[in-house]
Amino acid sequence: MRNVLYTCPFVPAEWIAAHGLEPMRIAPEPTREGLPAGMCPFAAAFIHAAVAAPVAAVIATTVCDQMRRGAEIIESRCGTPVFLMNVPATAAMGLYRDELDRLGRFLAAVGGAEPSGSQLAETMLNYESLRAAARDSRRESGPGVRLALGGGPLRSTDREIFKLIEQVGGTVVLDAIAGGEMTEPAPFDRARMAADPAGELANAYFGAIPHAMRRPNRKLYEYLNRELIARGVRGLIYRRYQWCDTWHGEAGRLKDSLPTPVLDLVAGDDESDRAYVLTRIQAFVEMLK
Amino acid sequence: MNDAPQQITLDQWDVRYAELRAAGLSEPSYGGPLRRHLTDGDMRLAHLRYDNSPAALRLWNFLLTEEDRLRAARAGGARIVGAMKDLGTVPVMAYSLDNVAAFYPDGAWWIPCMMELSAGLLDIADSLGFDESFCPVRAMLGAFVTEEHFPRPDLLTCSVGATCDDLSAIAQRIEAMGSEIVWWEAPHRRSPEAGETPVELPGGFVAPQRQVDFVRGQLQIVADAMEDLTGQSLDSRMLAEGIEAANRVRTVLRELRTLAYTTDPCPMGALEMLIAEMLAIHFCSDRAESIAVLKELLAELKGRAEAGVGVVDPDAAKIFWINPVADLRVMNLLEECGGRICGTEYLFSHALDDIPTDIEPMEALAQMALADPMVGPSADRAERICREIRRSGSQAAVISRISGASHCAMEGPVIADRIRTELELPVLEIEIPPLSDSMRPTLKTRIEALAEIVRQQKDK
Repeated sequence: MRNVLYTCPFVPAEWIAAHGLEPMRIAPEPTREGLPAGMCPFAAAFIHAAVAAPVAAVIATTVCDQMRRGAEIIESRCGTPVFLMNVPATAAMGLYRDELDRLGRFLAAVGGAEPSGSQLAETMLNYESLRAAARDSRRESGPGVRLALGGGPLRSTDREIFKLIEQVGGTVVLDAIAGGEMTEPAPFDRARMAADPAGELANAYFGAIPHAMRRPNRKLYEYLNRELIARGVRGLIYRRYQWCDTWHGEAGRLKDSLPTPVLDLVAGDDESDRAYVLTRIQAFVEMLK
Repeated sequence: MNDAPQQITLDQWDVRYAELRAAGLSEPSYGGPLRRHLTDGDMRLAHLRYDNSPAALRLWNFLLTEEDRLRAARAGGARIVGAMKDLGTVPVMAYSLDNVAAFYPDGAWWIPCMMELSAGLLDIADSLGFDESFCPVRAMLGAFVTEEHFPRPDLLTCSVGATCDDLSAIAQRIEAMGSEIVWWEAPHRRSPEAGETPVELPGGFVAPQRQVDFVRGQLQIVADAMEDLTGQSLDSRMLAEGIEAANRVRTVLRELRTLAYTTDPCPMGALEMLIAEMLAIHFCSDRAESIAVLKELLAELKGRAEAGVGVVDPDAAKIFWINPVADLRVMNLLEECGGRICGTEYLFSHALDDIPTDIEPMEALAQMALADPMVGPSADRAERICREIRRSGSQAAVISRISGASHCAMEGPVIADRIRTELELPVLEIEIPPLSDSMRPTLKTRIEALAEIVRQQKDK
C-alpha cells in the first residue's frame, strides 16, 4: 500500500508524491454511521472513509475543530498511521513550514523516502501542469445563468449539485467550494522554487489559499470580489453543512458584502433534501434570469 | 436572625439583606441588595436559589457589577483589553501593566440566561447569520453590536487555531464589523516526537519545547500590542509580579474547591462555586478585589467546615461536573435532584493550576496556554478528568453539552467512554440551552435517575 488518504486543500499532493507515495485526495461518501448530534456531515464522512480505507496512512488537518478531533477518532478505530497537520489559522508561515517538515518525516516513516530538492521541484512542476490542464478543461462552461458555487467541501455524491444547477438553467463558472478551484495553490515562482522548493511549496499553498478559517480571512473576500466580477457571475450559491461553523459563519457577511445575490443553502443529509435543494436553486436561477 | 447556612430565594434574600444591614453588615462600594440586579434586567435571579452568607452576597454583587466596573475604569482613564477565547493567559499579562482592565467578552454567553433572553442578543446574532446551530457565545456578537453590556475595548485579542470554531467564526464577524483584533495562534498540542525536547506543562500534559517556543512568540505579539496601547514596557519583572498575583487567586480558589467539593456536609452550593471558579480566568475585571471576594468566601467555608454544617443533603450523590452550563439554574437543579458537586472541569482546568514561577515569565505563560484542555486531544482532557474524578471520590459524572459548540459533539463521547471503562462510573450526558425551563422536567428526571443509581450502588 502506497496510498496516503487526505482531503484538506492545505495538504500538498506534491509533497506526498515527492516522498514516493501516492496522494489520494478524497471526497468521502456520505454516511449516517456514528453521526452524533452536532457533528458536521463532512467530518463524519471523512472519518468513516478513513477508518475503512486500506491505505498506508491518513492525513487530517486542524483546519476545523471537528476534523482536528476526527484524527483522534480515526486513530482509535483503525491501525492506520494518522498524521494531524497543524494548519495555522493566522499567518504563521513558519509553523506551516515546520509542519511540512514534520509531515515529511512521517511520510518517510510510513514507507516513503525524503526527496532531494530537484526531485521535489520536478514533482511540483508535474502537478502544476496537471492542475493547469484540469483548469483548461473546466473553462468550457455551458449556456445559462452564470453562477459561482461556494462554501464547504463536497462529499462524493454532493457533486450532483453541478448537474442540478445546469438542469434549472444555470452554469457554474466559478468553483469557490473548499477543495475546488478557489483552494488550489498559486502558480510556483520558478526562481524561488529553484532556491528553496519546499519553501515555495509552502508559499503556494499556505501563502495563497483563501479559506474561511484564516484569521483574518479577508483574502477569501478579495478572491470572491475579484473573481465574481471578472467572470461575470450573476449569483453565488453558497452551500454549507449544518454544524459547520467555519463556512456557516461567513454566510451572513457574504450576503452583506458581495456584489452579487447569495443563496444560502444548508446541505442536508438525506434524500428528501434533494427536492428542497433543487427547488431553492431553481427559484434562485429564475430570479436571476 | 438565623445565620445557619441555607439556600434561599431572592425574596428571602430581601429579608435577609435587611436583617444583615440592621446588624451592621459592611459592604464594598459595589454592595447592595441582590434585587437591584433583577430590576436592572437580570431576570434569571428570580429563579435561582442562593447561599445566604454575606460572602456569597459579595460574590454575586461582584459578578453582577462587572460592567459598571469596566465603565468606571474607562472613565478613570484605564485602558480596556478584551481577551476573547482566552482562559487565563492574556488577562495575566494585561493586569501586569498599570492602569489596564481586562475582561472576557465571551462571558456574554451568560447574558441570555441572566436576562432570560430579554436583551435580544441572540436575535441580533441570528440577524447576522449566527443562529442556534452556534454555541450561546454568539450572544457576544449581539453585545458588541449594542455596546450595552461592556464598553468597546481599546484592544481586542483572540486566540484561534486549536480552539472552538464557533468563537473563531463569531470573532471574525466582529472584526469584519470594525473591531480590530490581535489574533494569536494556539496550535494543537501534540506529543513530542523523536529528537524533540519534551516539556511537562502545568497540569501534567507534555508538549515539545518547539510548541512552547511558538506559543511564546505568539504571546509576544499580544504583549507588543499591549505595550503599544499603554506606552508601558511589559518587562519580565512586571510579568513575574502579575503571575504571582494570579497565583494568589488560584491558591485561594484551590483551597475553596477542596473545601467545597470534599467536605461533608457540602459547605457551599454548586452555583456559587461555579461563579467563584470563573474568577480565575479573568478576575471579573478587578484582580485585587477578586482575591478579596474569594478570601471572604473561603473564610465562610472554613467556618462551616469546622462547625460541620452545610447546605446540601449529606447523602447527596457525589457528582463530577464537566463543562460550564449555559443556564445557571441547572446548578441548583443538581442539588434539588439529590446530587452535589465533588469536582469540576469547566474547560479551564489549566487556569486553576499554578503558573510556574521558576522559569522565565513569558515561557511560563506559554506553557499555561498550551496546557489548555481545549487545544489538545480529547483523550488528554479525558485523562485529566479521570485523574480528578479518582482524586475527588466522585460517584458519577455529568457531561453538560453546550448546545451548538463545535467540540461537544465529538469530545463528549470520548470523555464518557473513558470514564465508563476506566472508572466504571455512571455518566450522564445532557445538553443545556441558555434557558432550560422547558426541558426542566426531562433534565430533572435524568439527574434524579443518576442520583438514584449512585445511591443504589452505595447501598450494595
